Amino acid sequence: MDDINKILSPHKQVECASPMPQSLHVRHSRNLAAPNRPIQSSNTSLEIFTTLHKESCHRLEYLVERQKQLCMLSDKMVQVIQMGAQQAIEECQHQFRNSRWNCSTVDNSTDIFGGVLKFKSRESAFVHALSAAALAHTVARSCSRGELNECSCDARVRKRTPRHWQWGGCSEDIRYGEKYSRDFVDAKEDKETDEGLMNLHNNEAGRRAVRGRMQRVCKCHGMSGSCSVRVCWRRLPQLRLVGDVLSTRYEGASHVKVVERKKGKNIRKLRPLHPDIKKPNKTDLVYLEDSPDYCEPNDELGILGTKGRTCNRTSAGLDGCRLLCCGRGYQTRVRDHEEKCRCRFVWCCRVHCEICRSKRDHHVCN
Amino acid sequence: MAGTIIENLSGRKLTILVTFLLLCQIVCFLIGGLVAPVPANAQIILGTVCKDTSIMKNDTTKWFYNRGAGICEKVDLHRIHHDVSERDIVFAFQMPVPRESETYDYSRWQQNLIGVLQVDIRYHSQMEVAPRSALSIDARLAYRNKGDPDNAWKLYTQSVEKRVLDCDIDIKSENYLYNCSAVPLFELGSLYHDYYLLNLRLPVDTPDMNAHIGHIQDMWVTVINQNGGFTKVWLSLKTVFFPCIIAILVWFWRRIHILERKPVLLEKMLLSLGIALCFLNAPIEYLTLHFDLPFMLLLGDIRQGVFYAMLFSFWLVFAGEHMLIQDTSAQSSLKQYWRHLSAVAMGCISLFIFDMCERGVQLRNPFYSIWVTDLGTNLALTFIILAGISTGVYFLFLCYMIWKVFLNISQKRQSLPTMSSVRRLRYEGIIYRFMFMMLATLLCAALTVIGFILGQVAEGQWKWDDNIELEYTSAFFTGVYGMWNIYIFSLLVLYAPSHKRWPANENTSDTQNLNLSEEHEFSPLPTERSEISSLTSFIRKATVD
Repeated sequence: MDDINKILSPHKQVECASPMPQSLHVRHSRNLAAPNRPIQSSNTSLEIFTTLHKESCHRLEYLVERQKQLCMLSDKMVQVIQMGAQQAIEECQHQFRNSRWNCSTVDNSTDIFGGVLKFKSRESAFVHALSAAALAHTVARSCSRGELNECSCDARVRKRTPRHWQWGGCSEDIRYGEKYSRDFVDAKEDKETDEGLMNLHNNEAGRRAVRGRMQRVCKCHGMSGSCSVRVCWRRLPQLRLVGDVLSTRYEGASHVKVVERKKGKNIRKLRPLHPDIKKPNKTDLVYLEDSPDYCEPNDELGILGTKGRTCNRTSAGLDGCRLLCCGRGYQTRVRDHEEKCRCRFVWCCRVHCEICRSKRDHHVCN
Repeated sequence: MAGTIIENLSGRKLTILVTFLLLCQIVCFLIGGLVAPVPANAQIILGTVCKDTSIMKNDTTKWFYNRGAGICEKVDLHRIHHDVSERDIVFAFQMPVPRESETYDYSRWQQNLIGVLQVDIRYHSQMEVAPRSALSIDARLAYRNKGDPDNAWKLYTQSVEKRVLDCDIDIKSENYLYNCSAVPLFELGSLYHDYYLLNLRLPVDTPDMNAHIGHIQDMWVTVINQNGGFTKVWLSLKTVFFPCIIAILVWFWRRIHILERKPVLLEKMLLSLGIALCFLNAPIEYLTLHFDLPFMLLLGDIRQGVFYAMLFSFWLVFAGEHMLIQDTSAQSSLKQYWRHLSAVAMGCISLFIFDMCERGVQLRNPFYSIWVTDLGTNLALTFIILAGISTGVYFLFLCYMIWKVFLNISQKRQSLPTMSSVRRLRYEGIIYRFMFMMLATLLCAALTVIGFILGQVAEGQWKWDDNIELEYTSAFFTGVYGMWNIYIFSLLVLYAPSHKRWPANENTSDTQNLNLSEEHEFSPLPTERSEISSLTSFIRKATVD
């Protein structure tokens, strides 16, 4: 189900995860833990590493055979997949920081989000889309960095002429990213089940969100630098922007049902639950079930509940105390607040900050 | 009375010729569209952040790269490191990037390499980036060839450069990235070596240097090279056209030499146009496959410039020579056109100076750009605006002259009915063919412009899944290139002096019908003039009255 996220759990043994960004404001990031040092593969350890990597792909038991194959494509692949999963979680936690379910992850479980994704809910739709998007994004980035040797070079148009790189160049990295994401993430989904159908749709929507936010840049290099000859390319968007797009789509997600058509072949399609709602297109998120109650803790599903969450007293939105605390009320505590302020950033690596102390009200849900 | 070939060519022959040329044109277009790949390829490389632990930072034998033996120690800029100083950070770009599990190398067919830098700057509310802050870059470019060991990078060039970052941001929120425009980084006129490595550092030698550029998260370099396939197709076209133009020129020159008279201005102009085309067509790119010739970009510009200058001048003289206002006795010379031609010269010289300031200096320092300093920008803009103004003035002149020619021709048309029927038919034919040539010129120009606009529009609507088999951009380039070649070929052929003799006027039955005034009109024309284009002579005759 959320297999790309599951990969995160064993990454401590593999010891090749990327370092974790420092800015994770989210409380429930225990599972991400272990900000490992950046991997240094020197020549001597390369062989050991390769076998380790082969093993590690096999050790990820929840991967289906195709995924194991894809994982074993290169020694860098595990890292890249893990990086993708990690970024997806990070982004999810950012986007849901104000919601009742804040994309919390669970320790000691292969299901990183607990059982939340067992529901075919909006949240599940979002997580699937984001995972697929993040994987495509990370793979494309690795291709651009030249870390992955496998990245494909399919020249788009030419089929009959030789497809050398030297003849006609290569396609954009995102193409391979999408292809890989489609191969890897979609491998586990079964088209015959309702859930599989929904996930496949959402995965594709996620990948399209990456594609949709790509920015076109052009460079003129004709005679005397004029625009008589121009070359254009597209930049990968920041994953945060993709998260924003998907977050909007999450809010406007369509509640659908599976319709079977018995015309010759058995075609199963997703159609809106209410006939008067417009058909979701390929970039929209779809869900089949309503979300579970995220207010109360539920160990079985891995829902932590909103007890103890900090809320915003003045907000009328989801992060406001009324909604976030599910009507249970909140406590206000005065806390010493320490904050970095008046920072001066010195490229590359130093930030000179002062620490400002203040007393602030802190509202915590009951 | 002999004229040019176009006047003596029968309608059937002309149709055959035009059809043949059109076929050639279509072939040129299709070769570009079906065989050639897109003209240029862009490869986007994400910089690997390396840690330089050495004490001496200006050691140009120490290189940082992320593939092969001896790769560098990587740093993650997402988090803040306390053990790393800004001097230790190196952005490494190793090109080309591998694909399909193969290590790719550049081929000399790929001709040139242009680098564009894009910087991802993270927003922090505590330190906003000013809209036009300067980025100082210590850029070093190294090369390596096939068979060299992985660490055998040799310095190609090195420079400390300044670039202006043009950044803005839509959502001012932590961790969002600024939208920074792409800045040109380097231009290599020759792609002689197999692998290149770019190491970028952001020095902080003075307190103000690189102090206001914010938190750089990533650096992207897009390297653009001409596609090998496109070069091959392009060079094949040149290889075909070059002998053709040489042969036609030789033939044209011999034709003129056979005549008893000296060549007239129009013929001289045609000859120079042919020579300019020779210069453009010469496939000297073959030399780049064996020699390192960094001046090829500049030379290409000069070759195109010379050709355009000649073409523009030719049009002016062509229109002027059919103007009917010159003194009939004076042999026309270039001096008469100095005012008009000075517009062409002015435009060409300003563009040449601009090009020398940009690509000329880049021969010495590939990282140089005229656009980064305010003075340079103003200077460059001055020259470009001057060139623009000259072009405008030129076209005004040209349009005015063509308008006058048409005016005169329509005037003379009115006097046609008073002439004898044979002569009338002949003159009508000449005017028709002159119009035909004008039409061809206009058609070529219009097709070029339309093709260019179509290309821009088609590119504007970026499609992801385009299964179009025709590679439009390449087809446009080969099509336009072929078209102007064919245009000049046909000019040279059709405007060469003809051997054919007009049937003597006396033989025609209605010669006797010529009235006296007409006889009188024709008598003062000197005999040697009979060899000039009969159209011109006709027009001159007309001016006499």
